[in-house]
Amino acid sequence: MSKSIKIEVTVNGEFYSEEVPTNLSLLNFLRYQLGLTGTKEGCSEGECGACSVIVNERLVDSCLVFAAEVNRQSVDTIEGLARPDLHPLQKAFAQHGAAQCGYCTPGMLMAAKFLLDKHPNPNKQDVLTAISGNLCRCTGYSTIVQAVTAAARES
Amino acid sequence: MKVVGKELPRVEIFEKVTGQSIFGADASVAGRILHGKLLLSPHAHARIKSLRTERAEQLAGVKAVVTGRDLPDVTYGRFVRDERYFAQDKVRYVGDRIAAVAAVDAETAEKALRLIEVDYELLPSTTSAPEAMKPGAPLIHEGYADYFAADGVEGRTGNICSHSRIVRGDVDRAFAEADRIFEDTFHAPMVHQTYLEPHSVLARFDATGKATVWVPTQAQFPLRAAIAQILRMPMTKVRVIPTEIGGGFGGKILATLEPAAIALARKARTPVRMVMTRSEDFQTGNPRHPFHLRYKTAVKLDGTLVAREIELVLGTGYSASSGVMISQGAAVRAPGPYRIPNLRIDSYCVYTNTATCAAYRGPAGPQLTFASESQIDIIARELGLDPLEMRLKNAMEENDETPAGAALKDVYTKETLRKAAAIMGPRPTPGKRPRGRGMAVAHWLVGGMASSAGVKLNEDGTVAILTGVVDLSGASTSLAQITAEVLGVSIDDVHVRTADTDFAPHSTISAGSQALKSMGSAVLSAAREVEKQIREVASDRLEANVSDLELGDNRVFVKGTPDRSVTLREIGHLALEHKRGPIVSTQSVAQLQSHPAMATHTAEIEVDPDTGHLEILRYVAVQDVGTAINPLSVRGQIEGGVMQGLGQALSEACTFDQGRMTNPNLLDYKIFSSLDAPEVEVHLIEHPCASGPLGAKGVGEPPIIPPPAVIANAVHDALGIRIRELPITPEKICLALKEEKRS
Repeated sequence: MSKSIKIEVTVNGEFYSEEVPTNLSLLNFLRYQLGLTGTKEGCSEGECGACSVIVNERLVDSCLVFAAEVNRQSVDTIEGLARPDLHPLQKAFAQHGAAQCGYCTPGMLMAAKFLLDKHPNPNKQDVLTAISGNLCRCTGYSTIVQAVTAAARES
Repeated sequence: MKVVGKELPRVEIFEKVTGQSIFGADASVAGRILHGKLLLSPHAHARIKSLRTERAEQLAGVKAVVTGRDLPDVTYGRFVRDERYFAQDKVRYVGDRIAAVAAVDAETAEKALRLIEVDYELLPSTTSAPEAMKPGAPLIHEGYADYFAADGVEGRTGNICSHSRIVRGDVDRAFAEADRIFEDTFHAPMVHQTYLEPHSVLARFDATGKATVWVPTQAQFPLRAAIAQILRMPMTKVRVIPTEIGGGFGGKILATLEPAAIALARKARTPVRMVMTRSEDFQTGNPRHPFHLRYKTAVKLDGTLVAREIELVLGTGYSASSGVMISQGAAVRAPGPYRIPNLRIDSYCVYTNTATCAAYRGPAGPQLTFASESQIDIIARELGLDPLEMRLKNAMEENDETPAGAALKDVYTKETLRKAAAIMGPRPTPGKRPRGRGMAVAHWLVGGMASSAGVKLNEDGTVAILTGVVDLSGASTSLAQITAEVLGVSIDDVHVRTADTDFAPHSTISAGSQALKSMGSAVLSAAREVEKQIREVASDRLEANVSDLELGDNRVFVKGTPDRSVTLREIGHLALEHKRGPIVSTQSVAQLQSHPAMATHTAEIEVDPDTGHLEILRYVAVQDVGTAINPLSVRGQIEGGVMQGLGQALSEACTFDQGRMTNPNLLDYKIFSSLDAPEVEVHLIEHPCASGPLGAKGVGEPPIIPPPAVIANAVHDALGIRIRELPITPEKICLALKEEKRS
């Protein structure tokens, strides 16, 4: 039987105090314990990036992080991107057809946000590298690059 | 047109970019949800001597265990009834279903699986279709001769579950008289759709005996039928609610987890959620058929194609499923979009000890085109002809017949060829490394299955579409555009979402490039009926003839006198008081005529002869799309399809060792990341087609078809080596160059 541990964590600016099993991933904590199902599971091995979130200004695959590790940390997920108006990235994704099935989209947006927060003026290669850990099977990536570049211009 | 032809964002896009969309694993119901897992066979071929579940059932936290004993005794299969949901006497592939458990959490479920005791007697297995075809190969279905087979399934013997043959003219005489004969064999291994969202389901079984599943599916009606058949339940007791779907590409059509989830939910009297791991999805999904292909072609010295003898061998996995249909369809398209008077095509669908291979975007297309278009280039080079000219010389034209005898209409193959070549332009100055160009034509026929749809006018003048079609390609948005166009309303006033099997009229599946064609035709029909009803009510109100009225700007007005008008909001209200009642219509379309959807792709590559590493400098995709209802969706389909095709060309293959897939993960099964993706120059050819709604042709499949042949031809152009097996990896290029040097 796994043990549990108490954690205090801020998710999208909201404070939570929760008891979590020690072997619970951050991904499953967000999805099933907090009900924030926007972050997706694609492989649970850190290969696809669908579970990307930002923890204390680091972009991570939440399937490879334990919930216990984010005690007293700050987590940003897709649900916190609109505050409450849509982030320029979200508007740009909608405009440019950067989401088809939408499954990679939350992770992709977090990776894009992570880029723009650090590099407000990325060139095409910067964008391609920033999203290289996020697999997409539908779009072929070009509309995603267009959207991120457009959002950078707008902000 | 005001709305059709516009680039509009998808109707559900805001849910997608905010993370609000509910995909399969997100679906939830009130109360406790159990965690379900399947016990899968670790062996590729084995008899089940005994199966004991008591220890699993007794584990604390386990709420249900089911095996074949809990299901009715049903064998099923569309073309050959060779499937049972749970393996009974033997397992036929690594991943075959043996049992399922539902427990309070994932850990307990995993423990329970390990407590199920199965005694196996191992049997020899094979994952190679040519091996499985040989006399004396271990029989995968010993009782095959007694299986029920549908009409039209022929040649069943041993591990061959279907052999179809097409003959035209006199191939032997043509070969005897030919100027030149070319014979080549090719191999395309199994590849997987690799949608980002693994299979999942949430199942609930209620007190009235009704099963409800929330499931990402491309085909909720066939899924309902499959569940109803496997569990012997009437369709009114099975409700399939499609969730948002994280990619399908053909791999989310057949029943996978659903019957187990329902059986568990029934036994446990609690809802059950099941989610495949990525590894399970790779091994127990429905991947693309591996093909061995032999093409023997007779030509005149001027490049005229005279005859083609083709042998196709497909490895279909442990059950025939839709493999029979795919192998038959492959035979029709195998010769390519060319006029060839003499044909002999044999297509074999063969059992192997792997997961069932089924539909994956453009079934058989990439494999056939890899062989056929590679050989066209081989021939052109040998005869000293330009590859483009040779294709133009032989390309099918309007009213030419397919090998099955159907006359093709709306054929624009030559236009796609010429345009692709023109856009690629003249050769640039050579770089430091070898460069080459390759081209290939996708030969695809889009059908159109029966569909029904409803359109209704709300009392406030807004409009709702009632449709069961699952939105993969952006079809829902296009349906809204079609409706808005017909009724003269703003697209923001049209609501469309996918309804489930309890409420939606029967819908085609979202596959085969025909969701929009089929459902669009039904919606168009229903919208036109609703338009008639609106006119009826308006003509009374405006005291004008129905034929003198026009719809636009959310109102109906008298032609020529725009101030004599009534809003749709008023019409909506009036209708309820009018003797005709609420304004609504449901219309059906029967199976629609096939149309050709051709595409020509061409690419320029640069290869490093020391490492074999290949870079795509330019990639041009020209496709004949009829009418682009939403150009943004159309381009999106093409760009995505090209990328999947390039994956098959360069890096993807399911590899096996003694019956077990050795790379069921995203590290070793490599799909394109952003750093691998070249830019794709997309060009659309639009000639409205008679059999599609407002002239639209199917778009989704042609783009995935040419890339493997394009790359193979470009590599030959650059290096003079011919690779006949996919994927075209750096190792293969290096080895081929070595071989070339030696000889």
